[in-house]
Amino acid sequence: MKMAARPTPAANLAARASRAPTAQSHSGEQAVRWRGATYLLPALLFLGLFFLVPLLGLLLRGVLEPTPGLGNYEQLFASSAYSKVLFNTFAVASLVTLFSLLLGFPLAWAITLTPNGWGRWLLNIVLLSMWTSLLARTYSWLVLLQSSGVINSTLQSLGLINEPLAMVHNLTGVVIGMSYIMIPFIVLPLQATMSAIDPMVLQAGSICGASPLRSFFKVFLPLCRPGIFSGGLMVFVMSLGYYVTPALLGGAQNMMLPEFIIQQVQSFLNWGLASAAAALLILITLVLFYVYLKLQAESPVASSTAR
Amino acid sequence: MLLSPNAMGRRLRYGLFCTTAIIALFLLLPIVFIVLLSFGSSQWLIFPPPGWTLKWYGQFFANEQWMTSALVSLKVAVLTTICALALGLPAAFALVRGRFPGRELLYALFTLPMIVPLVIIAVAVYALFLKLGYTGTLFAFVVSHVIVALPFTVISLINSLKLFDQAIEDAAVICGASRLQAILKVTFPAIRPGIVAGALFAFLVSWDEVVLSVMMASPSLQTLPVKMWTTLRQDLTPVIAVASTLLIGLSFLVMLIAALLRRRTSPTR
Repeated sequence: MKMAARPTPAANLAARASRAPTAQSHSGEQAVRWRGATYLLPALLFLGLFFLVPLLGLLLRGVLEPTPGLGNYEQLFASSAYSKVLFNTFAVASLVTLFSLLLGFPLAWAITLTPNGWGRWLLNIVLLSMWTSLLARTYSWLVLLQSSGVINSTLQSLGLINEPLAMVHNLTGVVIGMSYIMIPFIVLPLQATMSAIDPMVLQAGSICGASPLRSFFKVFLPLCRPGIFSGGLMVFVMSLGYYVTPALLGGAQNMMLPEFIIQQVQSFLNWGLASAAAALLILITLVLFYVYLKLQAESPVASSTAR
Repeated sequence: MLLSPNAMGRRLRYGLFCTTAIIALFLLLPIVFIVLLSFGSSQWLIFPPPGWTLKWYGQFFANEQWMTSALVSLKVAVLTTICALALGLPAAFALVRGRFPGRELLYALFTLPMIVPLVIIAVAVYALFLKLGYTGTLFAFVVSHVIVALPFTVISLINSLKLFDQAIEDAAVICGASRLQAILKVTFPAIRPGIVAGALFAFLVSWDEVVLSVMMASPSLQTLPVKMWTTLRQDLTPVIAVASTLLIGLSFLVMLIAALLRRRTSPTR
């Protein structure tokens, strides 16, 4: 249940992958076996009809429209405006991953340290923020960060700045808003990794004379690595495909791939180019997700936490 | 040493405490801010507000568009929940109990809508419904929401179904119940936390969905997030803060239910 209450897709996937199939009390009998499979049909039919077929249809348009061939892909990579979109997408995703890791790490650490006191409060705050409507949070940042917003007026009244800082409709706004949204997705897997670490290992380090700083970098951090990698990769992948927050907090100068796709479809009706960009985004996402699954399978700590 | 609060040294402990307190404030800031702002009297969202008022709530509830869109949201979310359960329950049973070939692959297929970026699903489904002439219908909303809600429902159903010992259901069958009776009377009550969690996920995914809904919406049919989205792009009126506050209230409620459920189910595990 605890697992189910956390919608980190990959954590669940990993939990399942690492678990051997439970023993079935009903074996044998072909008929029983295939009758079980028929229960899948409604859902499969639904996904096939409304998810897989449209998805393949979309991908096909990239090589068929406006003329058959790879023209859309050439355009995507040749035009400097479009490659800037690609670069932006990766830059924003990298920055967001970095910041959410920096902010998520202490949280996960404190939650692991005191699971019943302060840590429980922190976990609840993380969960509350995760469950709060995405639009509500983004709107709030929009108001907070605008030039007449609280942050600017506070800084001005403190005399720290003279002119309001431009923190919205640019890279800063996107990175603040998205890092904020991604923190829970770092904290939850990282905390699972940390709570699986045997405190004795760290104690052994300090008995052998390691300073706290040394045992942090030489023992603690390496043991946290599976959680850092899997959480970070997940956040990176999610950030690549985010639309709402970049569209509201970002400016025209730093458009990302998802926004580009929507713009091509809605404003320019250029389905071919949109579909080529979509194919690229899917490819990157799936490759990174595959790496993620590989990492999960190989990390001993992560597999021991999977229940 | 770094993992036991008493042995880690006071300086480090206070350092970590203060750091996390600041980050926790950062996490709470936008949520608290927006709730306060919805009661502020300033049209320009000045903070701290010059006075407190319920004016914006009045405007929200008096505005037919906001009310209709909230109602549409509710309708879509309930229908999505029902469909996700109706499709997800049999699928979860088949995936957990069936022993047919390709199960792992099928499971991966069910989680795929969670991995593929929403924008791409939105554009793909939009293209399909555009061809069929279904955009701007309730059907389009529900179908697109079920696609993204289904993985969450199926996963939580599978997780709780795996914890259930099928021998208990078999015992009921041996005692004379039919398989269907046994499932309805024995298995369903036992996996109820999973069903409720699956339903809550489906509801919340649909309730909060922006990207798909923006693509499916028409001027005459839109959900609350779509109305917020279109209003947001014009101006930052405090009425959006009201809508946000109501959404936050709902999320809070759902979280509370989930927490209660977790507490109730934990002794059995």
